[in-house]
Amino acid sequence: MSQSLRPYLQAVRSSLTAALTISNFASQTSERHNCPEVEANSSPEILLNPLHISRNENEKVKIEPSYNSVRISIRIKQADEIEHILVHKFTRFLTQRAESFFILRRKPVEGYDISFLITNFHTEKMLTHKLIDFVIEFMEEVDKEISEMKLFLNARARFVAESFLTPFD
Amino acid sequence: MSQINYRTINVDALDPESSANFPMESLLPATLPQAASASDAASAAAQVRQMLRGGDPEGALRTVLDTAPLGGDDRAKEVHLATVIDVLQGIRQGEMTRILEGVCSGDGGAERADCLMKYLYKGMSSAAPGSGTQTPKKPVSPQDTGFSQIQARNLGEGGGGQQMSVLLSWHERLVEIAGTGSIVRVMTDRRTV
Repeated sequence: MSQSLRPYLQAVRSSLTAALTISNFASQTSERHNCPEVEANSSPEILLNPLHISRNENEKVKIEPSYNSVRISIRIKQADEIEHILVHKFTRFLTQRAESFFILRRKPVEGYDISFLITNFHTEKMLTHKLIDFVIEFMEEVDKEISEMKLFLNARARFVAESFLTPFD
Repeated sequence: MSQINYRTINVDALDPESSANFPMESLLPATLPQAASASDAASAAAQVRQMLRGGDPEGALRTVLDTAPLGGDDRAKEVHLATVIDVLQGIRQGEMTRILEGVCSGDGGAERADCLMKYLYKGMSSAAPGSGTQTPKKPVSPQDTGFSQIQARNLGEGGGGQQMSVLLSWHERLVEIAGTGSIVRVMTDRRTV
């Protein structure tokens, strides 16, 4: 692991540990409703100060805690336009299957590539430290995945170009 | 008058008793220090820089955290943030733990730790200096039609990596000393820096 990646992930881990202390909270505006307050935005009192963690300008995490839910937005590193398109396709693939991912938000927060929404029901059903492990692992893996895809894409493009141009040789 | 679609009006916003109109000022304690102006912050900054040059980084960090403009306006807070980041960048990697232990112990040590944690997060949330001057690139579009769901963004390694890595290593040391509770207090404390 590179030198600056470890403190970055460590900071995300400790911030998430702090932010994921959430409990059940019924809606204040409508009776017998229970919705994630960070999305409903019904009262400024329930939203806590958002935390930002960044490694550099293009790699950052935003954690928006509230009383009963936490929204985590990740901006994935994109060095060039190919990586930009790959990240877009990759996150689109994931968000279209958000139903089976439970904590994945269908649409990323503006300025970020992918968002997770963890509510108190998720932390009750699942182990909190495993959820944190998942987010950290996702951040580790996604960089690797994108650069792997880029290498594969380049190799394939070279092969295709070669075989396409053989008749003109 | 009758043209307004009354179904789209958010009636909660009009109700003074509604939770959407919660008075946020009531969450601030009455003991908040006097509102500081940008010139106060600048004079504090000059004092702190003098201490830093004089070879007293621990005293500089202690002073800059004690004089945080919790009740100041945005301009004063910005000036003070720049001072804090200067102090943090002026301290060598090897001395971090020793200085942090000194600053976070003694009278009011816990408050200073929380204040430093607030500044670390604030420093990471603000964009790196000079990033606003970049011209936005033209949108990436895979089709000739120019229509794309992909939004434009600045590509590249990204600036500000040096400053962020300093803040991240401070964050790591501070969590070791002050614990996770300090982060919780950053989230819940309405006295922002």
